[in-house]
Amino acid sequence: MIPFELAEPTSLAAAVKLLDPDDETVRPIAGGTALMLMMKAGVFRPAKLVSLRKIERQYAAIAAGADGLTIGAMTTLGTLERSAEVRKLAPLITRTCLTLSNVRVRNVATVGGAMAHGDPHMDLPPVLMALGASVTVAGPDGERTLAVEDLFSGYYETVLAKNELIASVKIPAQGSKRAAYMKVTTGSVDDWPALGVAVVLDGEGDTITSARIVASAATEKATRLTLAEAEMNGQHVDETLLQRAGDAAADEAELVADVRGSVPYKRELMRVYVGRAVAAAWRGAGLNND
Amino acid sequence: MSAPRVIGFTLNGVPVTALAEPHHNLIELLQTQFGLTGARESCGQGLCGCCTVLVNGLAVSGCLYLASFVDGATVATIEGFDGAGKLSAEQEAFIETGAFQCGYCTSGFIVMTAQLLDEHPEPTDDQIKHYLSGNLCRCAAYPEIIAAVKLAAQKRKARGAAFATTSRA
Repeated sequence: MIPFELAEPTSLAAAVKLLDPDDETVRPIAGGTALMLMMKAGVFRPAKLVSLRKIERQYAAIAAGADGLTIGAMTTLGTLERSAEVRKLAPLITRTCLTLSNVRVRNVATVGGAMAHGDPHMDLPPVLMALGASVTVAGPDGERTLAVEDLFSGYYETVLAKNELIASVKIPAQGSKRAAYMKVTTGSVDDWPALGVAVVLDGEGDTITSARIVASAATEKATRLTLAEAEMNGQHVDETLLQRAGDAAADEAELVADVRGSVPYKRELMRVYVGRAVAAAWRGAGLNND
Repeated sequence: MSAPRVIGFTLNGVPVTALAEPHHNLIELLQTQFGLTGARESCGQGLCGCCTVLVNGLAVSGCLYLASFVDGATVATIEGFDGAGKLSAEQEAFIETGAFQCGYCTSGFIVMTAQLLDEHPEPTDDQIKHYLSGNLCRCAAYPEIIAAVKLAAQKRKARGAAFATTSRA
């Protein structure tokens, strides 16, 4: 890697001040696992990195309450994976962590980094989006909160200003909702996905009362599939419905070709896996399904 | 300025200081300033596990970890596993099981196994595969590696409390 300056502020406020809204060569670094890949490849050549590793410990804490979970942005994915609170209140996240990269990366990579990087191949964005999560963002003028759904603006792009930092992620209580996340890897099992599908359903008896379906990896950013969702609401779950949901998803998704698959191939994956993910979520009995 | 700065950390049980370049990764630091070559950069992307090092008891990919990040931390490399001249349980088990051919990946597997056994002293096959899925053995000694991990778990148990006093803590 080429030489750069490394700042190590000891507070979130100081970190925000060190960032420059107009300078793309100044960036925050948390765990660094994703950023290091970009720097080693020469895709990103920083003049200055602002390390967040020494900011207040509260930003690496997980708090559970009746209204849900608040997860500090500096929480590592490994801590998330091992958290009893997360397992209890949002077991989909625990399950997702188990197939997210490998143990070493999860020991270092952070929740905030996984969001702020804007990489459509990552697993947490679609999952958090489907769970209805929001992020609290700190900037020079204070904090603002936005839905994870509104965070991503394009391929590796977010709506965050260059001097804004994600402080925490809030996941609302899931009540009786059921959830599943499926990803398709076309290279090796541990490859980046060609498609990710996160589904969160609520239902009464054998009828779906609400559905959130999010696709990632095959799309330029994690994206809600609203037509497929509409197809599910108020419906009984059967093979025909699963097929209709898959067809709706395949029709509405704007897909991107890459080394992991062409657009027509990913369209077929979408058709099949949306149905499978809905079925997997529905099969489970509430939050602790697997 | 991208000036190097002095950092302090515990390396294989010994307090050390080093001059860390901001753009160097942990492997570069260990190799250039301490002559430790057991952890080495192979894929350079965190996929193969050859660069596995323990930082505060948790395995990291040294090639994706900024050297400056170990300031104040406890670092353990494969070179610290044979404390007091005695091989660790993992090292003995890999040798006795013949869990390698060329040996290039072995130090990474052994360091990764340490975190696995710290967290799961009696690991199942699934747990072993899960923890080691980020380590690649191009000689494909995987069956022997799984056997070695199980043997290492037994050896750790047999050694009892004495083992917990290695320099990795």
